[in-house]
Amino acid sequence: MKPIIIIGAGHAGLTLAREIRALDKTTPITIVSQDPIQAYYKPNLSKALSMNKSAEQLIMKQLDALKSDLDAELLEYTSVLKISSENKCILCHAKGPDNKTQEAFELPYENLILATGASPIELPIIGAAGNVVSVNTLQDYAQLREMIKDKKQILIIGAGFVGCEFASDLSSNGYQVDVIDRANWPLEQIIPEQLGAEIKHAISENGVNWHFQSTIDEIVEGKQGTLKAYLSNGSIILPDVIISAIGLSPNIQLAKDSGLLTARGIVVDEYSRTSRCAIYALGDCVEYDGQPLPFIAPATLAAKALAKTLTGNKIKRVLPPQPVTIKIANCPTLLCPPKTKEGSWHVSGDGQDLEVAFFNNKKELCGFALSGQKVSLKGEYLSRCSTPKISQGV
Amino acid sequence: MSNSKIWQCLTCDFVYSEAAGIPEEGIPPGTAWEDIPEDWLCPDCAMGKDDFAMQEVQNAS
Repeated sequence: MKPIIIIGAGHAGLTLAREIRALDKTTPITIVSQDPIQAYYKPNLSKALSMNKSAEQLIMKQLDALKSDLDAELLEYTSVLKISSENKCILCHAKGPDNKTQEAFELPYENLILATGASPIELPIIGAAGNVVSVNTLQDYAQLREMIKDKKQILIIGAGFVGCEFASDLSSNGYQVDVIDRANWPLEQIIPEQLGAEIKHAISENGVNWHFQSTIDEIVEGKQGTLKAYLSNGSIILPDVIISAIGLSPNIQLAKDSGLLTARGIVVDEYSRTSRCAIYALGDCVEYDGQPLPFIAPATLAAKALAKTLTGNKIKRVLPPQPVTIKIANCPTLLCPPKTKEGSWHVSGDGQDLEVAFFNNKKELCGFALSGQKVSLKGEYLSRCSTPKISQGV
Repeated sequence: MSNSKIWQCLTCDFVYSEAAGIPEEGIPPGTAWEDIPEDWLCPDCAMGKDDFAMQEVQNAS
């Protein structure tokens, strides 16, 4: 029997394998990953200092435990060069942990699932290459922890989810942090100014300098590894380490090269099928209704539905509104971003305790954010928000 | 509670202790897993109780 092959061992790939195995004990499963195969919860990377955990301690399951839990073949340090959908096989290249390339080999599949994830968007800034780190994997994080050891000044580019969490985590653990973003307030894309101001205030309590409406013109590497960042507002920052948190871009190259339909992400239907027979995709590498959703919950829900489909119980993926907690010291905040920009925000509450609701043009609640004590209203908001609506496909 | 259990979220490792409850979420100490509402969501990763099973990891005495 040919196996189900999953490319990628991030949250989407591992969850899919687990869900398939829960439903079907016999179908062979193979997971191919260019990175080491370990289970960890990626959102923890931007809060691990406050959790008092090292990169190593964030690992929930190591390869051996996963192997026995999933009863699957796990091929780490193995990249996929090509998909041959006519012959239903993939061409792989295995690298040893020493990085010495070994021979290429083919693997036939019954069904193939792309869970290739997303990669940090590269900064189009002079001098950024080699001087700016992005933290998108556990290995990146281990590297960051080495870099910030005995250092003090950190510059974070981007005041979105990850940027704000890193700012909070680092500043509340003794680092002096600067954050730069071209926006006017943190998380500008998904929350209104009043809540943005509170989040900014809460993070600032531990000593964070914000540089909004600004960009970096150039990064210059000085002697002895010192860095100099020239900002568009005229300031000069001298950070020890620069972290880029400007967002992710779906990994679609393999899909594209193999003739699958792609746009911003790999295009899939509501059964997670790609444009080619017996090839599926899920997680951060796909776009759902025209936009990538690089969060844990959509990947999990898509994986659960796909596991059923692959084991003979064809079922559509449903993605209800999912709240995302953003870990900010001093200001608990829960966000459930609206999927549309057409509509308006309504803010109520005082100080840090805010209820922020987004209504579309039909006056339906379709997104919200809660902070401080108002976080306890989560259940109420979710049930009001969860009434199924017909999605406006792009 | 003599037979208090600990449950762990498969996605994010969040731990629910029946003995401790989650008072800030309105779940008092001593609330058994079965008594948590079915629409409850994991405070860390927002997966559901039923839809995303928590794992019994140990028996505390």
